[in-house]
Order: sequence, then C-alpha cells, then structure tokens
Amino acid sequence: MRVVIAEDQALLREGLARLFEDGGHDVVATLRDADQLLATVEQEQPDLAVIDIRMPPTFTDEGARAARAIKQQHPTVGVLVLSQHIETGHAVNLVACGGFGYLLKDRVLEVDEFLATAERVAAGGSALDPMLVASLVSPIDHGPIGRLSERERGVLGLMAQGLTNAGIANRLVVSERTVEAHVRHILTKLDITDSEDGHRRVLAVLAYLNGTHQA
Amino acid sequence: MTGLTAGLFALTLVAEAGAVALAWDLEPRWDTLIYVVFSGAMVGAGALIASRHPRNPIGWLLCAIGLENALAADLAQGYGLRAAATGWPGGTLAEWVVTWSWLPQAIPIVLTFLLFPDGRLLGRRWLIVVWVAAVGLALAGPGWSFDSGTGSEFVAGVNPYAVEGLPTAAMFSVGMTLLVVAMVASVVPLVLRFRRSSDVERQQVKWVALAGAVAVVVLPLGPVLWDRAPIVRVLIALSLAALPISMCVAILRYRLYDVDVVISHTVAYAAITLVLAAVYSGTVVLLGAAVGHSSTWATAGATLAAAAAFRPLRDRLQRVVDRRFNRARFDALQRMATFLERLRAGRAVPEDVERVLREALGVEDLDVRVLPPNGGLAIDLYGTPVADDPSDGRERWPIRHAGTTLGVMVAPADLTRRGSLVPKVLEAGALAVEIARLRVELRRQLGEVEASRARIVSAANDERRRIERDLHDGAQQRLVSIGLALRHAQHALGPAADGEVSRTLDDAVAEITIAIDELRKLAGGLRPAQLDAGLGPALRDLARRAPLPVEVDATTDRFPTDVETAAYFSACEGLTNAVKHARATKVVLSARRTEGRLVLSVADDGVGGAVARNGSGLTGLSDRVAAHGGTLRIDSSAGRGTTLSAEFPCAL
Repeated sequence: MRVVIAEDQALLREGLARLFEDGGHDVVATLRDADQLLATVEQEQPDLAVIDIRMPPTFTDEGARAARAIKQQHPTVGVLVLSQHIETGHAVNLVACGGFGYLLKDRVLEVDEFLATAERVAAGGSALDPMLVASLVSPIDHGPIGRLSERERGVLGLMAQGLTNAGIANRLVVSERTVEAHVRHILTKLDITDSEDGHRRVLAVLAYLNGTHQA
Repeated sequence: MTGLTAGLFALTLVAEAGAVALAWDLEPRWDTLIYVVFSGAMVGAGALIASRHPRNPIGWLLCAIGLENALAADLAQGYGLRAAATGWPGGTLAEWVVTWSWLPQAIPIVLTFLLFPDGRLLGRRWLIVVWVAAVGLALAGPGWSFDSGTGSEFVAGVNPYAVEGLPTAAMFSVGMTLLVVAMVASVVPLVLRFRRSSDVERQQVKWVALAGAVAVVVLPLGPVLWDRAPIVRVLIALSLAALPISMCVAILRYRLYDVDVVISHTVAYAAITLVLAAVYSGTVVLLGAAVGHSSTWATAGATLAAAAAFRPLRDRLQRVVDRRFNRARFDALQRMATFLERLRAGRAVPEDVERVLREALGVEDLDVRVLPPNGGLAIDLYGTPVADDPSDGRERWPIRHAGTTLGVMVAPADLTRRGSLVPKVLEAGALAVEIARLRVELRRQLGEVEASRARIVSAANDERRRIERDLHDGAQQRLVSIGLALRHAQHALGPAADGEVSRTLDDAVAEITIAIDELRKLAGGLRPAQLDAGLGPALRDLARRAPLPVEVDATTDRFPTDVETAAYFSACEGLTNAVKHARATKVVLSARRTEGRLVLSVADDGVGGAVARNGSGLTGLSDRVAAHGGTLRIDSSAGRGTTLSAEFPCAL
C-alpha cells in the first residue's frame, strides 16, 4: 500500500511514517501542511492519504478541505482523516464518498486495528471512529431512525463504522444470518429500495447520519 | 439728550428755580416744592423720550405740559405772591394767569393718551376727541378766567378781569363737561391697544395703566382730604409725576423691567398695607377695650399681630394677585410646580422638563442642553451629543442648581422681554434637569460596565479556547508521538522481545491512551471543540455524556461564538442542576431563534423548587447570561419540574 502522510508535527509525522513502514507499507511522501497535498497526491497516485484535520496556517479545517478536494478529483484514493477530538460536521459530508475514514489520533496506538482500518479505507471501504458515531446518536431520535429498535440502531451504528456483516456478527457475538436479518429490516424501515448491496449500505448510513445530525 | 431737549429741561429748571425763589416763605414750603417735582418729572421724561424718539410726539407733548406748568402755574404764582407782598407791578395779571393755567394742559394730555405709545392715532376718527377737547377748552377757559366767583384765588380777594354779563357759569359747566368727556374718551384707545395689540404694546400700556391706577386711587382723596391732611397734596403731586415717568419707562425701557412683576407687587403690597392696617387697628381696639385705653400692651400686641400676619399674608396675597394680574407668570410657575409634583410622585420622567419648559414659556423652538458631570461635549436630556451653534440667533440662559452650572436653555432671544420669569422658571426646573442629567450619566456608566463585563467574559472565553488548543495540539499530540515511538520500539525488538518487555510496552501505551483521554475531557470541559461545529452538535455531545435521557431540539442556525459558548455552559449548568438536585428522569434541551434572540431552555421533570441563591450555580449562571446582555428565567414550582430559560440577544 502506497501512503502519503500530511501532519504538521514532526515527531508525529515521523512516528506515523515508521508505523506504516513497520507494517510493511510504502510511505511515498510526508508533508507538513496541506498546501502541496493535492499536487503530491496527483503525482504519486497513492492508495491512501493520511491527513491531520488541523494544520497550518489557521489550525481549523485545512485538513478537512484538502480531504474533500482529494475525494472530488481522485475518488479512488482512500482518505483517512485524523483528529484530536470529535468534529461531526466534516465527517458527515465526506463519509458518503466511500474510501473515507475519520479516526481519533490515539487510535494509531492500537497498531494492528489501525492498519486494518487504513487498508479497508484504501480498498474503498469506510470507517468512522466509534466515539464519533456515538456522538451522532442521541438517545431519543425523531424521523425514520426513531422507527428502528435499539438493536437495529446498534447494528446501523456498526455499519456506519464501516464493519461488514461478518465484522458486526463478531462484535455483537451473534450469527451472521441474524445480522443479515437486522440489515434487511433496517433497509426496509428506512424505505431504501433494492439495488446493489454496497450502495444500499451507504445510503442507510447516510440516512442514519443525516437523521441524527438534523434531529 | 439733544440740544433742544436739554434746553427745554434747563428752561424748566430755571423757571422752577425762579418760582421757588419768588414764592419762598409766602406759602407752605411743600406747596412750593412739589410742583417742582411734577414739572421736572414731566419735562425730564418728555425730554428723554424726545431725544431718543424725536418723531414720537409723546416726548414733546410731555415737555409742553411740564413747561406750561412751570411757566404759567409755578413761575407766575411765585411772581404773583411776591408782587402782592412787595408791590411789584403786574401781580394781579400773574395771579390771573395762574387761575386758568391748568386748563390748557387738557389738550396735550388728551393727545398724549390718544397717541401713546407709538405716536400714531388708532384711526382718524379719534381726532374728534381732540376737537371736543378744544371746544370744551374754548368754553371753559373764558367761563373760568372771566368768572367773578374765583376771587378767593387772588390775594386781593377779587378777580379784576371778571366780565359781568357773560354766562360764565354755564360756559364753564358745558366746557368742563366736554373736557371730561374728551378725557375719558382719550383713555379708550389705551384699552383697545391693550386688547388687540402685540406683546410689546401691551406691556407698554400696562406701565401707564399702573400709574393711571395709582392716580385713580390717589386723586379722589384730594377733594376730601385737601385741607385736613396736607400729605394728600404731596401724594397727588407724586402720583401725577408718576404718569410721565411710567410713559418714559414704557417707551424707552419696557424690556428692562418686568411690568407684570411691578404691577403684581404694587397691588400685593397695597393690599397687604390695607389688611395689616385693619389688623393693627382692630387689635388696638379689641385689646384696648379689654385692658384699658391707650395701653402700651395694646399697641405692642397689635404690632406683634401685624408682624406675625405679614409673611403668610404676603405669600397668600402674592399668589392671589399673581393669578389675577400676572397670569402668564402664574401659569408658567404653576405648570412647572405641577410637573415637579408629578415627578416626585413618579408619574412623570425628568426628561419631560424640556417639554414643560416649552409649554410654560409658550415657545416651541426651545432646547435644554446639559454638560455631562465628568466634562465633555454638551448633550441633550437623553444623552445624545449636541453640536452647539452659537450663531443660531438664539439666546442662552444658564441652568444652575446648588451652585453648579448644569447646562443651558437655548431659546429665541425675544424671551428676554419676559424679564425675570425665565430665570424663575429655570430655577424651579433645575432639579428635574439635574435628575435627567444624572440619569444620562448613570445610563452611560451602566453601559460601560456592561461592555466591560462582556469584554471580560469574552477574554475568558478566548483564554479557554487557547488552553483547549494547547492541550489538543500540544500535550495530546506529544503523547501520541511517544506512544508511536514505543510501538516502533516494540516492533523493532521483533521476535527478540520476550513476553514481559512487550507487555510492559503495551501497558505503557495503555497508560498513554488513558492520559490522552483525560486530557481530551479536560479540554472539552474548558470549551468543547464541538462548539466549532455549532450549538446543536455540542448540545448533542453533552446529552450523550449525561447520566439520564436527554432530548435535544436545537436549531442549526449559527450565533456569535461568545453567545454559543454562553448558551452551551448555561445548558451544562442547567443539566448539572437537574441531575444533582431535581431527581429528574428526563431532560429536554432546546435552542431556538426567536425574534433575533437565542433562547436556550433546560426543562426537567424533577421535584422543582429551584431558586438562585448566593454562590449557587444558578447565580453564577445568571451572571454569565447577564454578561451577554441576556436574561435568565427560572420557572420552578414544587412538584412540576424546573425550566431554565436563558435569552441572549444576537445581532446575527
């Protein structure tokens, strides 16, 4: 996997680079800000861009804007945004694209899980930090999401994190067929009609995020 | 005085000096002197008017009356007396002139009244009054001067020029009647002028009316007391002298003195004199009957009673007289007094003083400007700075209170003719002006305090934000780097790392993860980073962390950062309160935009009965809301839950 890293803090930048190299990946470029990021991605055509959300000069959302630009011009490049804390606004806009992930920075310390997530994003999957998902779910919801049972909401939350049916079954310690049933119910209750399975899953997650976000 | 008028005055004085010298010791001295006063006053006043307004005949008419009196009455009388005493020739002729000398004065007197104050007739038809007077004079003059019945006027006891066979008595009575009719008619234009004229003419006529009223009171005393109380003769002379003097003041100086005040004071003091005399004599009679005649006790008691009655009587009478004779002044002061009473009762605001001044003085174009207590530009009563244009043609009256100049009243210059009324009204209204001025200052200082409080809160918010950034971007990142370094070490050791080293590194990384989490919570408590995304996400994050179900109903609108921060912490405080004290099972957080205001409410279903006590979280919350110009309402009746509503004004 060819990786580009944009992170303003030198220690962290080097640490991340080493992490990917230790995991057997190829770090083709490291950048200290977002300025050259798009050009570098264009030139290197990496599998994954790992981007810090706050970078110079204003330390607000430079990373998020760069991530959006990359997804628009190079939809096949996986984008993994790292943040020190939860900022829901940016995540919701980007998750629909696929090949996008949003994680808290300290997730990198769980090396194996982090690398697995990174590979999933590079392969076109999506990944949202569990804490972000939790912050999007308020206990009482209005709209279509309110029609879901508690269990179904839990399954949908895991779908939003990017987990496959098998991954969800593993996490909830139930059979994969049970998960499939839940997913079917969810799609029906959210009025999502038949189409290619992957796309329907994304639509469901979107409905979920929009529903919780606008409640 | 010009040469001619000065000459006339000098001639009069010379004639009177001659008259005094000739008549000295031949008649009572006061009789000699009072006519000097009369003629002098007449010609003096006439000469003053004539020199200032030579085209106005009034001055010349007064000179004519005075000079005629000096020559034909006084000088001739002196010569007649001296001639009779020393045997000079022509004594009887002089005496004869004196007998009729008063008659020709009727013509200039009638003319003076007809022409006062501007020297023009009200209309040509008034000329007929002059003709009536002339015919009257033509009959009464011979009828009086050739009458044999006037012998007592002569030292010799007979009128040597008497013409037998002439119907002198009939001529005199007809002529005199005509003269009296002309005199009365000549006063009518004065009344008409007073009624229809402008302010200036009205004030002028008032002066003459005052002197005329005094003369009307004094003159009838003449026939009654002429011989018994010689003082009456002096009074008559003085009251007659007062007429030309009042005309002189009316024409030349009507702006300088406040005739209304003079009139009302004259009337008031005359009335007081009468009442006090009655009190005095009544007390003397009563006490005299009680303790015996001519007792010194009676006199002392009467004096005491009169003295005690003076002050309250004067105030009472002055009010009555003011109401009757000085309506404008009475009304103006009364209006201000009523306003001050309403102000004290809380039924009027001090800023109304400007409107009251406009009404009291009858001027629309009137402004009150005050100086702020701490210096600076003049402001109006509502605190708006006013650029003063000293060349706007208006007059400025200072407003003073307790020795301090509060400001000025700016009004048209012709208010000066109202004399002392304006300063009096201003003096009464100064208290209201002072209150209004202090209110402006209070509002200004309050505004400054509010602004400074908002700045302090804003600075505190900025500081929180800075610390939050430092924690996230500094300490937290550094910990992640260290963790990564440890993981790298773990990897580098590879299979060589035995189980224990690898476990130690795992533990260290776990510790670091906990530290990062704690730092994140700490930073979030200072100022949640979620607020960057808006109030809604921040409130939902807050709800998620709450230990009880919290429903969030938040607008997606954005507000100024400070307002969002304050609203967020209000929600935190309300939620904490619900969890800690209310024993609630459910809370609803809502943030709505209502008419340009952000309304945040925290409603629980708990026990209720919450009150903001000193030092409690609710008091702190109230302060925090107030710092943003907002208001906090706590609706918490026992058993029906608590609803906290914080309203913030927001310009966006």
